[in-house]
Amino acid sequence: MNPSFSYQVNRLLRGSLPFWLTFLLAVMTVIPVRIENMATVTPSVVSISVFYWSLQRPYLMPAPAVFLIGLTTDIMTGGPMGMSSLILLLVHWIASSQRQVFVGKAFIQSWWGFLLVATGMAALSWVIMCLYAFAFVPALPFLVQLALTVLLFPAFAWVFGLLQNSILRHI
Amino acid sequence: MSLRQGTASKIAFPLKNIIQRFAFLSLIVLSIALLVLGKADLVLMERVRTISVDALSPVLGTLSQPVNAINKGIERVRELASLIEENERLRRENERLQKWQAASLALDKENENFRRLLNALSDPLVLPITARVIGDSGGPFVRTLLLNAGSRDGIRVGQAVVGPHGLVGRIAETGRQSSRVLLLTDLNSRVPVLLQNSRHKGILVGDNSISPKLEYLQTNAQVSAGDRVVTSGDGGMLPSGWPIGTVSSVTEGQVRVQAFADWARLEFVSVLRYDLPGLTDQGTNPGDLGESRLGESRFGN
Repeated sequence: MNPSFSYQVNRLLRGSLPFWLTFLLAVMTVIPVRIENMATVTPSVVSISVFYWSLQRPYLMPAPAVFLIGLTTDIMTGGPMGMSSLILLLVHWIASSQRQVFVGKAFIQSWWGFLLVATGMAALSWVIMCLYAFAFVPALPFLVQLALTVLLFPAFAWVFGLLQNSILRHI
Repeated sequence: MSLRQGTASKIAFPLKNIIQRFAFLSLIVLSIALLVLGKADLVLMERVRTISVDALSPVLGTLSQPVNAINKGIERVRELASLIEENERLRRENERLQKWQAASLALDKENENFRRLLNALSDPLVLPITARVIGDSGGPFVRTLLLNAGSRDGIRVGQAVVGPHGLVGRIAETGRQSSRVLLLTDLNSRVPVLLQNSRHKGILVGDNSISPKLEYLQTNAQVSAGDRVVTSGDGGMLPSGWPIGTVSSVTEGQVRVQAFADWARLEFVSVLRYDLPGLTDQGTNPGDLGESRLGESRFGN
């Protein structure tokens, strides 16, 4: 028996939640918060979201979705096109291939995992940016952004966890 | 049914895996290709970018409003604490500025008289378009702002953007209802400037740090910390004489400038519609001075 139409629509809408949520976070990255020098170290909450969903629901955060989200980030921030897509795809790849290490384990373990992934990605994006600009760009903003992002991870993971256990419970 | 599904998934699963892996790798390659192509300044890529930002700018405008309100609330509370001192300081500053205003009015008149005596051509009128800042750089890669005004409001690529304290940057991309400002501090920013006292010219070069470098100065140029830096107007793109900042440090061969702009509090900025008659034509630059009645009375066209 085929599931009813409304059931499928419902499922589709719920299932697309991780994508739309991350998309919204990507758009919101550029909203000015007007704190001294905050604009250049805005925490990359998009990478938290991509990491979390690639870990918990990899089929709801497929690679093409990650690519689109990365492109949106680049379009909004005005950064080099393809930069965030590349970084986020790598985050997605690491998270979805290391699921057995993290899923169902203590939260601190995913936090530690995110710290490692985010550090690697911050270093990589700094190197790419230096190559891209053909000059040494200041590394401090990358480090501060990394620290802020890692510190924000538990808060976002908690909210995502709530969504996962309510709206996405059976999906 | 369950058995059939089982055999189907046995075949489908590795196939799906291969497709997924292929999709992933091609997306990685696509990202790298975009990065490389981006260096070539493709028109198509810029078009995609401006159209997308245009489409999303109303969302940003709406989303940034509550954030603004919260920020204002916090600032109000913070200001309450220092209300009396602030009032006292402003009173003193006002007294000082009143004296300056009298002096500057007298000088302005005098200057105007001299210009008339010499029959000197005056600079074209500069018309500001004031726009709200709806986005900032949002990361460590670039130093930009998004504005909620675009080509339909008369904003064109290259125009100067000023905040309450001085030059902030220039317009880098325009959509119909949004535009992007390249800040002075960005890696790609180059602004022709002038040292106000010594009249030596140079180029202000951004490098993603807080204080941009002053380069291409004459070797014998006298420059010391505290010198004021203003736009030179070279190239005819920016009006001359707009304040930018002061020289903050002079170390072996490297001069750094601290901008006057208060980067954290840029809520509204003005885009200067500056049009040198003869250099820019009305056809490719519609809506500049011709659109305004002020321009008409000045140039009589």
